[in-house]
Amino acid sequence: MGPLSRDAWAQRLGAFRASPSAFMAGAEGEDLGRDLLGDLRSEKLSEQTKVSLLALSLEYPAQLWPDVSAAEVAATSLLDTLVLLPPRPSALRRPLLLAATTALAAGGALGPTSGASCRLLPLLLGLAAGSDLGRGFVPASEQRPLQATACECLRELESCKPGLLGGSLGLLRGLLGQEGPVQPLSLLLALALRNTLVLQSRVGAGLGGLLTDKVSPTGGGPWDWTLVEEGDGRLQPQAPSWPAAEEGEGERSLTAREHSPEEARELRAAVIQLLDTSYLLTPVAQAQLLWLLGWALRGLQGQPPALFKPQLVRLLGTAQLTLLHAVLALKAAFGEALFTAQDEALLLRRLTLAAQHPALPPPTHLFYLHCLLSFPENWPLGPEGEEAAPLLLGPQLCRGLLPSLLHDPMALLARLHLLCLLCAEDEEEEKGQLPSPRHYLEELLAGLRQRAALDEGPRALATVCFQASYLVTRCLAGQPTVLTPLIHGLAQLYRVRPMLASHFVDFLDQVDSELREPLKVVLRQEVVSRPGRDEALCWHLKMLAKVADGDAQSATLNFLQAAAAHCMNWDLQQGLLRVCRALLRAGVRGGLVDLLQVLARQLEDPDGRDHARLYYILLAHLAGPKLGVALGPSLAPPALASSLVAENQGFVAALMVQEAPALVRLSVGSHGVKGPLPVLKLQPEALEPIYSLELRFRVEGQLYAPLEAVHVPCLCPGRPARPLLLPLQPRCPAPARLDVHALYTTSTGLTCHAHLPPLFVNFADLFLPFPKPPEGAGLGFFEELWDSCLPEGAESCVWCPLGPQGLEGLVSHHLEPFVVVAQPPTSYYVAIHLPPNSKLLLRLEAALADGVPVALRTDDWAVLPLAGDYLRGLAAAL
Amino acid sequence: MAQRAVWLISHEPGTPLCGTVRFSRRYPTVEKRARVFNGASYVPIPEDGPFLKALLFELRLLDDDKDFVESRDSCSRINKTSIYGLLIGGEELWPVVAFLKNDIIYACVPLVEQTLSPRPPLISVSGVSQGFEFLFGIQDFLYSGQKNDSELNTKLSQLPDLLLQACPFGTLLDANLKNSLDNTNFASVTQPQKQPAWKTGTYKGKPQVSISITEKVKSMQYDKQGIADTWQVVGTVTCKCDLEGIMPNVTISLNLPTNGSPLQDILVHPCVTSLDSAILTSSSIDAMDDSAFSGPYKFPLTPPLESFNLCYYTSQVPVPPILGFYQMKEEEVQLRITINLKLHESVKNNFEFCEAHIPFYNRGPITHLEYKTSFGQLEVFREKSLLIWIIGQKFPKSMEISLSGTVTFGAKSHERQPFDPICIGETAYLKLHFRILDYTLTGCYADQHSVQVFASGKPKISAYRKLISSDYYIWNSKAPAPVTYGSLLL
Repeated sequence: MGPLSRDAWAQRLGAFRASPSAFMAGAEGEDLGRDLLGDLRSEKLSEQTKVSLLALSLEYPAQLWPDVSAAEVAATSLLDTLVLLPPRPSALRRPLLLAATTALAAGGALGPTSGASCRLLPLLLGLAAGSDLGRGFVPASEQRPLQATACECLRELESCKPGLLGGSLGLLRGLLGQEGPVQPLSLLLALALRNTLVLQSRVGAGLGGLLTDKVSPTGGGPWDWTLVEEGDGRLQPQAPSWPAAEEGEGERSLTAREHSPEEARELRAAVIQLLDTSYLLTPVAQAQLLWLLGWALRGLQGQPPALFKPQLVRLLGTAQLTLLHAVLALKAAFGEALFTAQDEALLLRRLTLAAQHPALPPPTHLFYLHCLLSFPENWPLGPEGEEAAPLLLGPQLCRGLLPSLLHDPMALLARLHLLCLLCAEDEEEEKGQLPSPRHYLEELLAGLRQRAALDEGPRALATVCFQASYLVTRCLAGQPTVLTPLIHGLAQLYRVRPMLASHFVDFLDQVDSELREPLKVVLRQEVVSRPGRDEALCWHLKMLAKVADGDAQSATLNFLQAAAAHCMNWDLQQGLLRVCRALLRAGVRGGLVDLLQVLARQLEDPDGRDHARLYYILLAHLAGPKLGVALGPSLAPPALASSLVAENQGFVAALMVQEAPALVRLSVGSHGVKGPLPVLKLQPEALEPIYSLELRFRVEGQLYAPLEAVHVPCLCPGRPARPLLLPLQPRCPAPARLDVHALYTTSTGLTCHAHLPPLFVNFADLFLPFPKPPEGAGLGFFEELWDSCLPEGAESCVWCPLGPQGLEGLVSHHLEPFVVVAQPPTSYYVAIHLPPNSKLLLRLEAALADGVPVALRTDDWAVLPLAGDYLRGLAAAL
Repeated sequence: MAQRAVWLISHEPGTPLCGTVRFSRRYPTVEKRARVFNGASYVPIPEDGPFLKALLFELRLLDDDKDFVESRDSCSRINKTSIYGLLIGGEELWPVVAFLKNDIIYACVPLVEQTLSPRPPLISVSGVSQGFEFLFGIQDFLYSGQKNDSELNTKLSQLPDLLLQACPFGTLLDANLKNSLDNTNFASVTQPQKQPAWKTGTYKGKPQVSISITEKVKSMQYDKQGIADTWQVVGTVTCKCDLEGIMPNVTISLNLPTNGSPLQDILVHPCVTSLDSAILTSSSIDAMDDSAFSGPYKFPLTPPLESFNLCYYTSQVPVPPILGFYQMKEEEVQLRITINLKLHESVKNNFEFCEAHIPFYNRGPITHLEYKTSFGQLEVFREKSLLIWIIGQKFPKSMEISLSGTVTFGAKSHERQPFDPICIGETAYLKLHFRILDYTLTGCYADQHSVQVFASGKPKISAYRKLISSDYYIWNSKAPAPVTYGSLLL
């Protein structure tokens, strides 16, 4: 495709700017970056059009060249275009430099391996130094502006890759001392100096000769990237630790190393050089210089902050926002080292007067007011990070900063905050200040409410009234002298303008219970004392749904009954039902049953009737707490923004059993051997309080008879629970796996179902003793059992390894209850009853040091391998 | 200290979007730093469309504030500065510096060089003040001498080129965009060394210095027990120094006559090189006493090329220039009004104009008026419910004039008559508008001897003075009126 015409480009750029993402997604998107680079060299396009193309690339490089390699290609192409420009003045050189810089920095291509970077950096430095680049590269008339532009480009690259110009400090200093353009060089030097200080001290190196070497870092050779690499390309914030975060990164690294006297002297000289010519900079540039130098020198040995002192008086006198802000930054950086108590007081006074000076615009006032309340005091008393009036800012100073109804909302709120802070302090001080700030505050709030009550007033008037009230409750919580009139004032406001119900509901949601509860009471009184049929009924219902609770039931119900007759449309009926719902949740039952019955019959809208009936059924069938949960806010976000859907989901959540992760753990304890059946002793443990726990067990493979469920009324974490006994009825004497399910209610009232990890019933858990034979008849009893096993049963001999405790230890530990005949420590006869009706008999005799041969008989073939495994495992279990 | 993006948006109530983005500029290299500095809390700069919508919503400039919207109207969403968080696509873009002036919204997003969660205090974000200065600079450029929409459009179309000079990478180099304009225009002029960055060229021609002092007087008068009337003078001294040389040194002094009122709260232009501590400390915050510094107020400076505001000051003169009372009573269907105005004898009785505007808010159109005045003429704007009493160039010899009468109103119609949230019921004011040339209330003046120029050639000095009223209110003394804390300090 050939080059586009000027108009075609204008159209294309317009389409792109209207929505870059849409354009790039379209058919033309892909080619835009390439076309742009190509057409910059077209001879058919005017310079003006090309400048507009470059302007686009300055703003949207990421869209035009989305990856690193594309950015590198673009930067190379831009540099080629620059080099190919004919040697006459052109409007393209500046934007081409800016565009190449932007493409590299924003595209992430800037680095030692990038060819474009290695071309651009020496070019920029050469331009900045005003060197002759040969072949009429820079026409004389453009040299000065390009010098400044090159400095700006280098500064941007240094910002994105700190340390880039570490090797050029001496050169830049030399240029600043000669004829170079003051502002671009000053800012560049200050930034490079600050970054170098941070990086060098991080690696424990000094400045060395960096400030004095006047050789270009390229010196014909490659660019020096060492300092950049030492810094890992980490960006450097300007004010790294304001507010004084404990030993901020910047500070620590700067104090890490002292500079040699010579280095310190050079550094001081460079800083003084920068500060002395700073008045030649524009105010915004002066401010940047102060921010950079202030935080660079903070905590640096041998660099007294007094260096800044000569600048301060000049700066304090100005009305410039950036300059005063920079002074505050110096204040935060150096504190008492630069500002004595008197200086601090003066700064506060200048700030105070700037915050109200009629010659300054309102946004400036507001920012200064913020600065006052966040003022970096030498000796702050209050907690860090909280807005507070500085100690030196007494009532006298604040006089002109107090709010009045004539202020716009933001100024009013900002000043109101200050007034609240004064009122909070005032409580501790002696009375006698006239007029008292608190009285003034009350009048002001009354005025705001009066405005909010205006019938035709815009919503903003109501909003600011509630915001002011909220601010006051936050700042002056716990002061009944303020809160009581506020509550009554708001109740009165509601009486006059019930359509502000939404604001009241929001206000009730936001404030602490200290204010919320009494305000609810008076608002409820306001509503229920109405006849229930005025035109504001929908607002009253909205309000009541928020404030109705168990108190004043009869008045509330009377109001609703009266209102029901007037709820003709769907909205009102829904409003009415919402109040019923709130009452249900609050546990109101008596009169509500009647009301719901009436509504279920009378409401015109079938949906309303259905809901009333549903509430009635819920009320009749659910216990209090369950009802509360059923009607509580839905846990799942509704898929549709319909109240019915939301409500329905609430019911679903509350009335159905929820699948949940297990909040209870079970472990098998030591097993008991009393009674006719083996009993598993279970130890439950809850992770959260749970109620009405039902544990259900299922035996896999039907090896035992079905198990009864176990019930536990309540389990709490950290409170030891009684062990649960689970009797087993084996159908055959075999170990088994139990599947466990838990059903419980959480403290939020939800019923949950959880699958617990399975429990294992071991072979030994089934052991029961035989009835004890009379004294002395043991041997005979055992022999009888022994003989009865054969011929149907089986016999075997197993080597049972012994641990260090020997045979005696083994028996006492595992088989004690089943021993029938014992001749310690050499011989034990053991008889085990395995329900339902098997037996296992063991003779342990003639033990050796490492084991004992066990002769065993059983009347059940199937038991034999289990018994063998059991015996072999005993030693390991010891 | 840099900006990620800047926007100019015209506010167009009544249109579907309620506004149009007239200009926007993004700074991708700053954006890249923002992504690194902000880390997980980084929120990208949105495209113009979503930004416009979110900003207008936050500033309450959409036409739909009928319903309560929690994200805007909740009582806990308190904004105390012109710096906002905008909800865009579920994320909050912060900090957005924005303000509305003359139906244009100026907005920018400063870079914050740390994580945004928790939000750092604004005072620690260097880009915030720079952002304000940037926007003020654009505002000055657009509105200096601008008369109509086409001029505004021309200036808007110049902005991209100007910002290429004044803010090529998002870090503002000069808030005075006119300097950049001159730079673009005279790029070929070789600049001499050590040229201040705020001075783009040198003056060639006859040396002359012009100093003009404009004082505005505001007042709140209540005529009530327990509430003090207040008034204040705010002065602006504007200079234009046409002097040869790169950095001519000039000292300009402001003088007061013996009975003049001391200047206070002095804020100076950054070109002033040093300040006397007496100037720095004289402040209206302190109780006045006889020892207050009363000049001469010397300002040594190296002037920029263009006209600049040398300083601003305030002053507390002993009496208001015009003392008045206004009484308004509702009598069944009509209002009875009585007004009395008295010019203080010390004030120059030679006005360029003097009028009293008497608005009636929250009422219908004026249907009937009967009045008697001792001086001047009364104009009636029936539909606007406004009376203007034209007093003219001079008060009569007695220095005192009065107006009384009754006004009847028709039925209210919301579109026509103005709504006012303060003037409810009998709460009402009249507002004085006047201008006196070659006069200042404080007595402050600059003359031939006030200017010292350390440069070749004796310049021609011209000095101008004028007094203008501004927010000069006289409240109905028969009804409650909004007071400031200062009025309660008797």
